[in-house]
Amino acid sequence: MHLGRDLWYGARGLWKAPGFSLVAVATLALGIGAATAIFSVADAVLLKPLPYLDANRLVVVWESNAAVARESTFAAPWNFREWQRQVRTLGAFAAIHDQHVNLTGGPNQAAVPEELLAERVSAGLFPLLGVNPTLGRAFRADEDRPGRSNFALLSHRLWLRRFAGLATIAGQSIRLDGAAYTVLGVLPAGFSALNSGVDLWLPLALDPADARAANLRYLEVIARLAPGAGIERANRDMETIGARLEAANPGLNKGWRPVLVPLRQEVAGHAEPALVALGAAVGFLLLMACANVANLLLVRGAARRKEIAIRTALGAGRGRIAAQLLSESVLLALAGGVLGTALARGGIALLARFGPANLPGLARAAVDGRVLLFALAVSAGAGLLFGLAPAIQALETNVNAMLTEGGRGGTAGRGGRGMRNALVVFEVALAVVVLIGGGLTMRSFVRLRAADPGFDPTGLLTFRLPLAGGRNAAPGRRAAFLQQVEERIAALPGVRGVGAVNALPLEGLGVGTTFAVADRPAPPPDQRPMALMRTASPAYFRAMGIPLLTGRAFGASDTAQAPPVVIVNRMLANRFWPGENPIGRRLAVDAIEGRVAEVVGVVADVKPEGLKGEDWPTVYNPYAQAPASTMAVVVRTGQEPRSLSEAVERQVHGLDAAQQVAEVRTMEDVLAGVLAEPRFNAALSGIFAQIAFVLAAVGIYGVISYDVSQRTHEMGIRAALGAEPAAVLRLILGQGARLAACGIALGMAAAFALTRLMANLLYQVKPTDAWTFAAVPLLLGAVALLASYIPSRRAMALDPMDALRHE
Amino acid sequence: MITLRNLEKFYEGGYGRSYVLRRINLEIQQGDFVTIMGPSGAGKSTLLSILGMLDSAWTGEFEFVGHEVHRMKPRERVELNKKYIGFVFQSYHLIDNLTVYENLDIPLSYRNVKSSERAALVCDTLDRFHIVGKRDLFPSQLSGGQQQLVAVARAVIANPKLILADEPTGNLHSSQGKEIMELFKKLNGEGVTIVQVTHSEANAAYGNRLVQLADGWIVK
Repeated sequence: MHLGRDLWYGARGLWKAPGFSLVAVATLALGIGAATAIFSVADAVLLKPLPYLDANRLVVVWESNAAVARESTFAAPWNFREWQRQVRTLGAFAAIHDQHVNLTGGPNQAAVPEELLAERVSAGLFPLLGVNPTLGRAFRADEDRPGRSNFALLSHRLWLRRFAGLATIAGQSIRLDGAAYTVLGVLPAGFSALNSGVDLWLPLALDPADARAANLRYLEVIARLAPGAGIERANRDMETIGARLEAANPGLNKGWRPVLVPLRQEVAGHAEPALVALGAAVGFLLLMACANVANLLLVRGAARRKEIAIRTALGAGRGRIAAQLLSESVLLALAGGVLGTALARGGIALLARFGPANLPGLARAAVDGRVLLFALAVSAGAGLLFGLAPAIQALETNVNAMLTEGGRGGTAGRGGRGMRNALVVFEVALAVVVLIGGGLTMRSFVRLRAADPGFDPTGLLTFRLPLAGGRNAAPGRRAAFLQQVEERIAALPGVRGVGAVNALPLEGLGVGTTFAVADRPAPPPDQRPMALMRTASPAYFRAMGIPLLTGRAFGASDTAQAPPVVIVNRMLANRFWPGENPIGRRLAVDAIEGRVAEVVGVVADVKPEGLKGEDWPTVYNPYAQAPASTMAVVVRTGQEPRSLSEAVERQVHGLDAAQQVAEVRTMEDVLAGVLAEPRFNAALSGIFAQIAFVLAAVGIYGVISYDVSQRTHEMGIRAALGAEPAAVLRLILGQGARLAACGIALGMAAAFALTRLMANLLYQVKPTDAWTFAAVPLLLGAVALLASYIPSRRAMALDPMDALRHE
Repeated sequence: MITLRNLEKFYEGGYGRSYVLRRINLEIQQGDFVTIMGPSGAGKSTLLSILGMLDSAWTGEFEFVGHEVHRMKPRERVELNKKYIGFVFQSYHLIDNLTVYENLDIPLSYRNVKSSERAALVCDTLDRFHIVGKRDLFPSQLSGGQQQLVAVARAVIANPKLILADEPTGNLHSSQGKEIMELFKKLNGEGVTIVQVTHSEANAAYGNRLVQLADGWIVK
């Protein structure tokens, strides 16, 4: 009963103070909106269950080998089979292997060939995930066998795009890599297992008789914890089995152990540190907003002390007074919450649009019931939090002093001022932490953007040329076709160079190989060093701008019939021939059937996986000697690279109209994709830092400004006693500077402790980066002085006589 | 009704104690109309605050309608205030953002009176003080005299046994002041005990007892 009336009076009071209410609601809306938007993303990415049956019991099984510094590596099929046979703490297993396939025809006579990302999966994957096709059916166990596995499931997107949502697609035939496959069904919209962007699922059809494939590690494995088993027990169980498998098959398993990772962590774990950091930043912003509004309420409360005293004199107990003030605060917070939620809706839409594509679940972020509940809880909590200080102050009101005519009311003085000052110090400290966090993230991004990828990404167009399944699929035909493509494109006006490689830099480690240095004692197979293996055309290095450090590039003479040659990167050369000339040395490369190849050149290192990723020893083979089934062609031009897209495609189709040209994009696009997540983090941190900056400035200004208005009488006395305007200026600036200095000192100490937690998010920037730790205090100090200067001008302009009359 | 024995009020300062009230001994009977007078700083308003339970930082003994106030906790003192006391101030002290009706409703709401009962009491009081036409106006829309009339109405609405009035006519011109004092006299005639602080001899003449304070001491 009282609450309703308190809220009604509170609402009317707020309505009658529109300036105060607007500023308070807008400030809170910023804080609550930012917190709600980030929560909705964190909820979608980290908290909401994945869209699978009992998803929290799903795990991914990787293999690790500490001796060769390999973590979370794909699993070997032989091990996959043994795990299923031996382990008791995991119920069901499924394996996945992704590959590109060429779709060349379907029931609607779709003629334009298209390269698609497919996953070959165990038939048990769909029951394991609890996912059923919306049309048709999933694979049966007998359809997941070698020689009888030409079946396909379509993604909802592919079904709509390529087959116009044909209701009778199940049972129809499509052509993949030149072979006929029967479509069994269509999976639900948005379905993906471990990898996004997959359009086709095909049976894995592991062949136990294929000894070579059984010993390669290329499977992603998902499993479900058995009823009653936890992940720790399952991990221990798998460790034991791993040791057993090592003893049984040391050639494959020397030093290797299976490792279980919760599926959620596998899918979204990489985003967790950044989201936690952003969550902390918005938490601090929300606290700053609360401190600002608490300060506004304290100022307003100072004006309302008389009302509180009257209510006390009329019989209001402390509880009633506190309840009334808190109900007003909560009302303000709820209004801020409503506006904040609206802001969050817009923010979420922007995040979903501009957020990194590899943030899984980002598209699912929305203002749903959970997010609304969060916003409501945050608003109510914020209302209680920022209402607390004014309520405490109100309860300390000296009723007698307030109600006595001429009484100045003790709480107008030191008590209230002390609390306001403390809030501003707290707010500045929080701003320092947010600004330093934002500064570090942005500096890290600038460093990352300036990082040398090892090649020159400007003026490069690239596209993929899938050669499997078409007319150019035969290994003997591939090299000739690729050479023709390069020659025709090189003849285009504006083209300065054309080359091809099987895997572009930055996009992943790709294929690796073990190798041995010839003419030295060969280590046993399981202790051979690893290197990335690339297949490149002769002009690749020049076209990419990868410097040739010594020796020669591949040439036309490096044919399939010529003696095998390789080019190695600087890292490999330095590691195996330190201080020696590697040219003329020889390597036995296992991935090309152990053939011994002569090193003919050394090129600079390129970043194989992202810009943060470490360099890897790399072996380049000439294309003619190791023709890959798909190649990425790079075209260097002096003009806008995208302007060449059509001409390039025409040249390829001029040679073979059925040849697909996939993923036409610039290397700048590739780089932008790699930078998307750090850019997203830096942009958000930057926005939050700006908000923190404004809130801190407004907070300091508000307190100093109010204090000046409260000290008008004092200023009059000082002026009458001969104080120069400069002395008044010093007095007020000094007050602002002291507050800022206290806040900055506290904030620096807190930032020093907290930014260590960000170390993994930073690139070539220390968590205690001196520049950031120096710039932020200077910047905030300057703003504090400016925020104090504005009210101090007002104080300097006071007429002493007016001021002395001021009460 | 009220007995004060050796009541003292003081502030601790760096230079020692600064006394506001000293050894106050005072008896007030039910139905008295007491006037407290004295120069500024004599402690008049402080004494009124102590009588009204608004100030609890004092020493000595204070009995109020049979309760030993000096032994009571603050919460219990608030209950005494709610049950027996109404206040009238020089500056009216109406709550600016509440209407006349709501200002009258406030003391009742703090006494947990049911809402239907409250509405009846407020309407009766508006009628009794002839301010029915002002019920939806805010204090800023009333003259000083009208505001003080509302303040007196608010003081009596919860049917107090004691009205404490601090310079109730100090901000009013003489005819309005007279009207308010007549009202007090009428209330006193109905059995309400009144303690007023005033500088006005004319107002003092409405009472039946005079207490003179100087420098915190009762001098007469």
